[in-house]
Amino acid sequence: MHACRITIAATLTALMTTASASAQWLNHPTAGIPRTPDGKPDLAAPVPKSANGKPVLAGLWRPSPGLTGDIARNLKPGEVPFQPWAEALYKQRRATSSKDDPTANCIVGGVPRSDLVGYPFKILEVPGMVVILYEAVHAYRQIFTDGRELPKDPNPTWFGYSVGHWEGDTLVVLTTGFNDKGWLDNAGKPATEHLRVTERFIRKDFGNMDIQITIDDPKAYTKPWTVTQPLAFQPDTELLEYICNENNRYFDLVHDFGK
Amino acid sequence: MNAFRLILAAVLMSAASPAFAQWFKYPTPGIPRTADGKPNLSAPAPKTADGKPDLSGVWLTQGIYIGDITKDRKEPLPFQPWAADLYKYRRETQGKDDPTGWCVVGGVPRSTAVPYPFKILHTTGMVVILYEAVHSYRQIFTDGRPLPKDPNPQWFGYSVGHWDGDTFVVESSGFNDNAWLDNFGHPGTESLRVTERFRRKDFGHMEVQITIDDPKAYTKPWDVTLPLVYQPDAELIEYMCPENNKDVVHLVGK
Repeated sequence: MHACRITIAATLTALMTTASASAQWLNHPTAGIPRTPDGKPDLAAPVPKSANGKPVLAGLWRPSPGLTGDIARNLKPGEVPFQPWAEALYKQRRATSSKDDPTANCIVGGVPRSDLVGYPFKILEVPGMVVILYEAVHAYRQIFTDGRELPKDPNPTWFGYSVGHWEGDTLVVLTTGFNDKGWLDNAGKPATEHLRVTERFIRKDFGNMDIQITIDDPKAYTKPWTVTQPLAFQPDTELLEYICNENNRYFDLVHDFGK
Repeated sequence: MNAFRLILAAVLMSAASPAFAQWFKYPTPGIPRTADGKPNLSAPAPKTADGKPDLSGVWLTQGIYIGDITKDRKEPLPFQPWAADLYKYRRETQGKDDPTGWCVVGGVPRSTAVPYPFKILHTTGMVVILYEAVHSYRQIFTDGRPLPKDPNPQWFGYSVGHWDGDTFVVESSGFNDNAWLDNFGHPGTESLRVTERFRRKDFGHMEVQITIDDPKAYTKPWDVTLPLVYQPDAELIEYMCPENNKDVVHLVGK
């Protein structure tokens, strides 16, 4: 039941504005976060810093409605610099209500789509890595921060290969090595193996962070383009186990869908 | 293709052998090496700042236990009769009802007893395990919280950990009743409680002693010990099980 509900929410991606359905029932006080005198989380408190003076990014975050579903929501019509074939494919995906969406098969959203869905994710900072645990499809992503370079000939994957470094107080994550099947967002903007994503994680205060996302994929877009997704810290809650493949009913529905 | 190969290996598991990541070689930074640059797996176990063994790294369970976690038990398992019957049925039908045939996660302890590596991370208030299998993860809370009294039943359950000397003790409950404890199909129920004791013996070797306490399926608790081997200069690969999954149509049990 539960998985069915979530799977449908994730896969019937006509949902351009996925509603918050996560973890309402789960309340465990988050340890060590700033609180106001009445015990409520103080989301306007300053950015916490780690021992090396950089902002702490760790914690449970949830994409604000901002760009969820449609990465280009805040751009004007015509501002996504599609290559002609990519625009035609995007239009076809919209006209067919995203019936070919790979996440209907419970495949991960990849990058940047996993930043742009209505499910929370937990950022961990460990030696040499930043790790993101996504509620969506119960998947994870490793971002290597040990100084290694992006591989020259990576195995093409859905999440790609990510390395991160600090520029001042901004964590800059570069990702390449994607396969050519990824959708940039639920709406179905195409990407190819040439995709290179730059994410800039900018924590603004305790409760708010922006991810500035630059899409550079010369096969699908005539020039790089940039959008910003706001994230909200999620206090006193936790990731739920989202097992998409349990009782996935999508394909019972899809025959009547997208026509 | 890749997912297909891996799924077949996981599900048709009679003689699964590690077939992962042979092509992927990135030197693991900061590990002890011998004079010729090879990883020194018999170096002492590293410690974290608080003096406890550092369990972090990529690990793989030794082959003999893959599939059947009871492989080297001398005594028969203390099955409840219905659980013995169900196990016999699952063996006779070659695991055709195996939930991982649909790319569902293996859960606990099964995710440890498969031929795919996993990465242990230590972070504030938690130990996290990233599993290559089905690209999934598990959180083990180490901030002192008790196990919840009325958890949402999950495949991975709910896990809390604490240190008992140099042994990391993880207790899990809150499982759903669909679990297979291993690829062979030893049953678990919602009454399942798993205790895992992780002991790092040296740099390259760790043991996890697993105690299964599930009074609905077994008449008394029983335990097994799985040896884990550190995987130097390797990395998890992206195991995307539902991509081109050809398994379901082959799950006929003949």
